Amino acid sequence: MLSSALLLQFLISGIGVGCVYGLIGIGFCVIYNASGIVNFAQGGFVMLGGMITYVLHARSGLSLLPAALAAVLIVAALGLVVDRLVVRPLWNRGATTFVMILATLAVQIVMERATLILMGDSPKSLPSFTEGGPLRLGAVAVNLQLLWIVAISLLLIAALALFFNRTKTGRAMRACAVNPQAAMLLGVPVSRMLAYAFSISAGLGAVAGILITPTQFVAYNLGVPFAISGFIAAIVGGFGNPLGAFLGGILLGVAQSLAIVVVGAGYKNVVALSILLIFLLVRPAGLLGGKA
Amino acid sequence: MSLLDVTGLTKAFGGLMAVNDVSFGVEEGGIDAVIGPNGAGKTTLFNLISGALRPTSGAVRFAGHDITGLAPHAVAARGVIRTFQLVRLFGDMTVAENVRVGFHLSTRGGIWSALVRPRWARAEEAEVAEKARVLLTLIGLADRAAVPAAQLTYGQQRLLEIARAVAAGPRLLLLDEPAAGLDMAETDALAEIIRTINRRGVTILLIEHDMRLVMGIARRIVVLDFGRKIAEGTPETVSRDPAVLEAYLGTAESCEGAEVLHA
Amino acid sequence: MFLLACAVIAVIVASGGYFVTVVCFAAIYALFVSGLNLFMGYTGQVSFGQNAFAALGGYSTAVLTTRLNLDPLAALLLGALLSGAIAFVVGFPTLRLRGHYLAMATLALGLIAYEVAVQWTGLTQGYMGISGIPGLGFAGVEIDDERLQAVVLLAIAGLGMGAALRLRHSRFGRALAAVAGDEEAARAVGINITHYKLAAFVLAAVYASVAGSLMAQYVGFVSPEVFGLAMVVLGFTMLYIGGIGNVGGPLVGALIVEALPQTVSGLKDYQDLVYGAALILILIYAPKGLAAINPGLPLAVQKNAS
Repeated sequence: MLSSALLLQFLISGIGVGCVYGLIGIGFCVIYNASGIVNFAQGGFVMLGGMITYVLHARSGLSLLPAALAAVLIVAALGLVVDRLVVRPLWNRGATTFVMILATLAVQIVMERATLILMGDSPKSLPSFTEGGPLRLGAVAVNLQLLWIVAISLLLIAALALFFNRTKTGRAMRACAVNPQAAMLLGVPVSRMLAYAFSISAGLGAVAGILITPTQFVAYNLGVPFAISGFIAAIVGGFGNPLGAFLGGILLGVAQSLAIVVVGAGYKNVVALSILLIFLLVRPAGLLGGKA
Repeated sequence: MSLLDVTGLTKAFGGLMAVNDVSFGVEEGGIDAVIGPNGAGKTTLFNLISGALRPTSGAVRFAGHDITGLAPHAVAARGVIRTFQLVRLFGDMTVAENVRVGFHLSTRGGIWSALVRPRWARAEEAEVAEKARVLLTLIGLADRAAVPAAQLTYGQQRLLEIARAVAAGPRLLLLDEPAAGLDMAETDALAEIIRTINRRGVTILLIEHDMRLVMGIARRIVVLDFGRKIAEGTPETVSRDPAVLEAYLGTAESCEGAEVLHA
Repeated sequence: MFLLACAVIAVIVASGGYFVTVVCFAAIYALFVSGLNLFMGYTGQVSFGQNAFAALGGYSTAVLTTRLNLDPLAALLLGALLSGAIAFVVGFPTLRLRGHYLAMATLALGLIAYEVAVQWTGLTQGYMGISGIPGLGFAGVEIDDERLQAVVLLAIAGLGMGAALRLRHSRFGRALAAVAGDEEAARAVGINITHYKLAAFVLAAVYASVAGSLMAQYVGFVSPEVFGLAMVVLGFTMLYIGGIGNVGGPLVGALIVEALPQTVSGLKDYQDLVYGAALILILIYAPKGLAAINPGLPLAVQKNAS
């Protein structure tokens, strides 16, 4: 059997990946809560976060931190563009759920192919945020990047919680999620809230992408697997519940890690997808309930 | 033995008792009605009988068989066909097609016969088309047979829904507020159609607010209020029942109330 | 619109040349989209995973003909049978879902198929794919002439569309349309909606499988990419251009979409980007499909999909 140290190692890396999934899942929740739309292009934002940072850092010589920040801003702006060009026109024309989903899927394909054309299909990577070997805790080696991932994720979550609970805009967005008509009557500009939701989600996705790229790589076609993982996280946690999405992400990350131990790395996507199917069929309301 | 027997039927939504221990029977061959103020639980009762909702407790027996909790299409297959409070048509299908769908239960034929079109299938399709035409003539919509159902007036849509229900060959027809939204002339026409259907041997149970219609055609009336049965009897007995008057008008002593119910 | 497409096709086939390839691909996709149309247009349900069944058909043909030297026709039929069976098993729980849950579940199906194709290298040779599949032809007879190939493929597509037409105008088709129109009302007249949704799903899977098998034979090669997400978007683009619920729509849509690359010459990568963008525009500005001769029916898709 596996040594407990190795198992623990897998667990920890699972938590790290899980945090990233969780961030993507929160991105899904934010848009869903603001509009009822499931944004299938979310994965594209994640991929672009890593990709644009690579371009700015490795190709244009910017150091890592500014490159990352710039990338997040660019992707957040891209989220706004998607909202303006695709989502808003459909929304105004009363498009159905299915049409929205199909449209966001098409956006995903467009982002993917554009990246392929511009960047080619070879995987790119980013350096770890801090140099240095893995931290040793007893017999377990913890990759430093994982610590960064967890730390930044928690920070982001705290920031989001503050935003949604303490700021006027954040509360307005929550009001829209609960009852858009009432919110409108109270003078909340609902369409602007939707724009904020998209840029926040896109930004979150970008951060997730930047965090995870140093531990693996980024390529044009990683958008869909990221989106699936984020969606699973959101479903498992109970769609619409951001905290649940984060926990769901961690659960997924750990489950995947353990699955890698058992069936090997290649099938990890199949495992993830199977978890998705199981949850959809058995408990669509997720672990923490919420809108089913 | 009654055709339909409802015993102790109860439906609770959390703490709200939409239908509370309701029992009554419907004899075969007549036209019975369920009345009561808004929110009394009448449509919920229909949903429980037709299988759209599962009762919290109680039982529904039809023609001697227990049909409690059966799926809606299974209940329909037993011979209990219902219409809806807000008309539910297949809006994009033509008027004729809507009625033809109604014959689903009495026909067979699936993928194979659709592709190969053996003689019996073609004969069946012709029969369905003809029967549909007859029903459309009955309700006066034969000349609009090729029109998309969504383009009919509301009154016509109501009649179409009833025709579709009749096509399904019911022994018991549940009509949910068939006169809602109809003017006096349309209501009279409706009453005539209901009587004609009844004369063909279909037992009818209807929910209605239109007292003129109910008092005119119903043989027996069950009155619900807040989910409970508060009265049962002939139109005469029910319209004089103080509990019924109180439920509708808030006071047992109102003579105008009695007049309203008699009008 | 449909007649115009037929006329164009006739001219192309008669004259030969490069465009015949376009017609061949269009015919194969028309079959695929017809199945999708059956499920979505007739029944008003959503499936983002039809490419999974196309992959099943394609890989069945590939493996059975190259490994076991089975006759292509037998391989095609076996693939269709397998697809139908899997659709039945998978559809049963999945079709209870609604809205974006159904969309996600069917999308997951397609993605699982992709992953399995990539990972099960023992069977599928992963990314490399399987080549050397016998060309179009059955029972030992191989059809070499491109134009004859086009005729055969068109005939098969025509058969598929004709079948779809027959299905629509029958008790079965009426029941499907009723499910699309109003599920409650359909139940009230005795229609078992689960049964019919499942039947339509299985049929669509069989159509997709046959299309996949034909694709494998025509191209001579399969790989996971061939049946990937792009196929989903492509299929929907064709469906929307041709008009949902419209029986002739798939051929019109397939022809237009396949012919486009000739005007936007370049790599396949540009194509998918253009299709994606085109689909977005169509969804925004012509949500009922461009060539919708029966504009009423798509409403049913919208009602049930929300």
